[in-house]
Amino acid sequence: MALLSMRNIRKSFAGTPANDDVSLEVDAGEIHALLGENGAGKTTLMNILYGIYAADSGVVAWKGAELGPHEPREAIERGIGMVHQHFMLVPTLSVSKNITLGLKSEGHPFPNRRRLDRIILDISRGYGLDLDPSAKVSSLSVGEQQRVEIMKLLYRRAELLILDEPTAVLTPVESESLFGILRRIREEGRSVILITHRIPEVLSVADRITVLRDGKLVATMRAGGTSAEELSRLMIGRELERVQRSAREETRRAGGNAQAPGLRLDGVDLIQHGNAKLRKINLEIPPGEILGIAGVDGNGQRELAECILGLRRPSSGSILFAGIRVDDLGVARRKRLGLAFVPDDRHRDALLLEMDLSDNYLLETLDLPAFSRCGIVSRRKVRLATEAAIAAYGIRTTGPAAQARLLSGGNQQKLILARGLAREPAVIVASQPTRGLDIGAAEFVRGRLLESRSRGSSILLISADLDEVLALSDRIAVMYRGSLCEPMENCPDIDMTRIGLLMAGQRSPGEA
Amino acid sequence: MTDPSFVAAVTAFAAAAVRMATPLALAGLGETYSERSGILNIGLEAIMLCGAFAGFIVANLSGNLALGILAAAAAGLTVSLIHAFLSVACGADQTIAGLALNFLASGITSYAFLIRFGKTTKLAQCPVVPPLPIPVLRDIPFFGAVLFRNNIFVYAAFVLVAASAILFRRSEWGTSLDAVGENPRAADSAGIDVARARYAAAAANGLLGGLAGACLTLGSLGFFMENVTSGRGYIALVVVILGRRKPLGVLFAALLLGAADALQFRAQTMGIDIPSQVFIMFPYAATVLVLLFSIGRSSEPSALGQSFDRSRR
Amino acid sequence: MKALRNIASYILIALAAALASALAIKAVGSDLPKAALGFFRGAFGSTYGVSEVLVRATPLILAGLGVSIGFSSGFFNIGAEGQIYMGAAAGTAVGLVLPGLPALLLLPLALLAGAAAGGLWSAVPGFLKARFGLSETINTIMFNYIAVNVIGILVRTVLKDPNYPLPMSPELPEAMSLPILAQGTRLHAGLIVALLAALVVYFLMRETKIGFSMRAVGKNPRAARVAGISVYGNVLLASFLSGALAGTAGIGEVAGLHHKLLEGISPGFGYLAIIVSLLGRNEPAGIVVSSLGIAALQVGAMSMQRQAGVPTSISWIVMGLIVLLILARKRVFRFLLPEAGEEGQ
Repeated sequence: MALLSMRNIRKSFAGTPANDDVSLEVDAGEIHALLGENGAGKTTLMNILYGIYAADSGVVAWKGAELGPHEPREAIERGIGMVHQHFMLVPTLSVSKNITLGLKSEGHPFPNRRRLDRIILDISRGYGLDLDPSAKVSSLSVGEQQRVEIMKLLYRRAELLILDEPTAVLTPVESESLFGILRRIREEGRSVILITHRIPEVLSVADRITVLRDGKLVATMRAGGTSAEELSRLMIGRELERVQRSAREETRRAGGNAQAPGLRLDGVDLIQHGNAKLRKINLEIPPGEILGIAGVDGNGQRELAECILGLRRPSSGSILFAGIRVDDLGVARRKRLGLAFVPDDRHRDALLLEMDLSDNYLLETLDLPAFSRCGIVSRRKVRLATEAAIAAYGIRTTGPAAQARLLSGGNQQKLILARGLAREPAVIVASQPTRGLDIGAAEFVRGRLLESRSRGSSILLISADLDEVLALSDRIAVMYRGSLCEPMENCPDIDMTRIGLLMAGQRSPGEA
Repeated sequence: MTDPSFVAAVTAFAAAAVRMATPLALAGLGETYSERSGILNIGLEAIMLCGAFAGFIVANLSGNLALGILAAAAAGLTVSLIHAFLSVACGADQTIAGLALNFLASGITSYAFLIRFGKTTKLAQCPVVPPLPIPVLRDIPFFGAVLFRNNIFVYAAFVLVAASAILFRRSEWGTSLDAVGENPRAADSAGIDVARARYAAAAANGLLGGLAGACLTLGSLGFFMENVTSGRGYIALVVVILGRRKPLGVLFAALLLGAADALQFRAQTMGIDIPSQVFIMFPYAATVLVLLFSIGRSSEPSALGQSFDRSRR
Repeated sequence: MKALRNIASYILIALAAALASALAIKAVGSDLPKAALGFFRGAFGSTYGVSEVLVRATPLILAGLGVSIGFSSGFFNIGAEGQIYMGAAAGTAVGLVLPGLPALLLLPLALLAGAAAGGLWSAVPGFLKARFGLSETINTIMFNYIAVNVIGILVRTVLKDPNYPLPMSPELPEAMSLPILAQGTRLHAGLIVALLAALVVYFLMRETKIGFSMRAVGKNPRAARVAGISVYGNVLLASFLSGALAGTAGIGEVAGLHHKLLEGISPGFGYLAIIVSLLGRNEPAGIVVSSLGIAALQVGAMSMQRQAGVPTSISWIVMGLIVLLILARKRVFRFLLPEAGEEGQ
């Protein structure tokens, strides 16, 4: 009898299926990898198991008994634990106190802390976790903090541990340590579900693998019976829509190649807290070209965008706009030089939700001489421009005076594009520009990017949506763990396997 | 150095410092509970004032000190729970809520006082808690006079500080409280009821703050006047910061400021020609310096002042 | 429909305040109609009464404007009280140091000095917040107390009038007095300054780049940064402007009412300004209205005391109650407003 059995799980959010008839089975003493790209439905499936969501339909059976909708607390009591990507730790408390937080230990309310420490130390040694129970969590590295999270589950005698992209925050060495720990856990007869997009890890540590794609179950197999190529093919799929490729003719600016590239990065490194977030990034985008960066979220894309924008300073290397070094320039100056930025988190980074559309339009166009003279803003002109943008981009709203918060995601993104492209920027960095948008809005956004491209902008497209990258880019590069591979020409017979392997962390066969 | 009159003067000074520190220590201890749970209560002045008044009026009307002290604690508790309700259930800005409570308390206590006593020149009085010297300990040289010949408020302050220190460090309630103040989301996911913890902390704040107020009217003054707390609630906030939100630290900070207070009185009687404002300024300037030193090393609970909304995942 | 429900809840709050006042008046044993009459006559019944309301409203408008600029930009200025005092002190110093100047020079100079002093006093906590992220809540309160004590020291030492035993400055030169607007009243040109300031603040926040930048930083500092707006610079500027207005209120009181520096020129104006700004929804027009309202409340309460023996502390009770009810509005009046609110107050 399987320890865990999830059968025919369906879950939709606002009409879009996140899990579409997915089934999963995990035995006791097994490490099971849940493999897939962003948005494949892995986290949703696990959140259903853990109790954060309830499935729309389907059955979850734990140790043979059906498990209806429940709270995470109940999951923990039954022996299912989850380590999320954002840790739930209290930095000012010790490891030991974090582990016993919320539990009524023996001697409550005055537990024998020394005795608890010893128990924790024993358990921790048994799994190779190597934790000092009296250390303050704030003094621990990210890898060590993750081990505290795992320890929390083991202390509560979890029989199934779910880890959500655990290696996203770890160095390769720390990842190896983690796998050692997972193997010890398996030896004890406990099970692990590993949510990941990284194929080498899956092959290294998993017993069985379940591949999800676009909310559907693609395949389940034993790790020994498959290869990296097959996994990458399953993960990414071959039947991709190439609809817009024909629209993309050679419309590069005539004679444009003699000019300096619109955007150029030379050997850009970024080291934070001892971690290399960006490693020797080199890229060059001539005017009128779209360079698409494929790769799953969390491999340095955000840091790359922020360095180009000017929010972060690289540890070394330089960034040039049309041949001009911008390393010492702030965000405002870079924008004046012709940079437009479409951030991936609209609400946090791009919008003033409580203000109206005119004000939001003004946010990025404050410096335009058309809108302000001698420090005084012509609200009339801004309003007119906003109205024009609403009309041109088909933004569905009551008018420039509407509150930004009331617009749908798609319409918000249209406004962001409208104001960003208002200056006819020479360089555009678009990060996950169609995330959370419906098909119509997404197509519109892509169309606008192609339009800017034909006007001669250099566009850096960062997207976890491989279809999008393939549809829009002239050249494609893949980002993995802060490194950017050599960009490839995007032609109809591009090597999908190679891309898949690069995205998942393995070079193509024959490469180191 | 052993000149008897000098020793006597120093002893008297130290004893005064301890007495003046007591309301600060009690109120500061209460606020420590609150801030550790994530609630910044600027309305400490209101709690103390209401406690002072309630204690005074009940003792005055009934002649019973114990009843007065109980009333003071109850009044403080009420004010603090109102603040907690606004902070936890209404998600209101904690600072504005505290300021509004200060206004309200100032108004209500002045008003109620005038209702009961009218504008008389004869000072309305209440019984005062007598000093309770502890046999044997009171005869220890120096420390005996300073520490063990005080009233129950002083003794209560020391005991409560010690008990709180143990509670915070070694009990699971203390750990849960810290978690709620630092990372309410983590506390919530560990099964801790964040709202209940905050209400409990606010209750402790109210009880202790009410006692601090009673300490003023029932413990030393023996009468009540408008705004009798005269800003001590704000100084108690200072004490919490100087004491780094630890009970023992709060006690020492309170003693420091009590000493400054006592010094200020001595200086005036000694006819020193420095305006007393220089001494009065000391705790406030010291707080700013302490805050400056905490740059980069944030020592306040990360969720201090923020309301916790469980529905935001 | 939603707007109507909101208005209804505010009306309920006003009614609750009125009810509480009525209960309080009865509790003191005063005659309710007599008290009510005294209140309204005092605030609105005579020219002198109205002028007193305007006199009281003047510093509230200025300090309230200052607090609102802070709020709009994310700088919680609880230090208006101290900034008022520093402004008063600086202006006084100018008047005492340059007594010979004609009014046309001396008065503006004193006002500027007051504004600058208030601005700088506020900019210190502002700098600490902008540069180091230190919360301004406790800092500004501490600066209040430091300022009050600094004034206490000044009026006993450097700025003390040698001819008087009491702690206060010498009488300021005539050239530094704000002219009286209405014969027989205390109403001075400070009101004009305050109303002008309201217009300027309105214009600044709504129509200029600077105003927009400050508001953007207040609403979403991260988005502002991504857009290229300097969070550091704008927080610092907002703190300075906020304090400058409060400082102007201080020097206004000195130049218009007291004509000398003494302790107690501000009976809590700085803290009242926070309520003024809250009630006025951080908008200049609203601030003028709420300042007048609170001033009327206080003047009326004083008259109510004279006519019916109701203690003036009733005004603090009413104000505190109103603010608490506003804070609790969405929760307490849940039956009326069933939707979970998204906007602020």
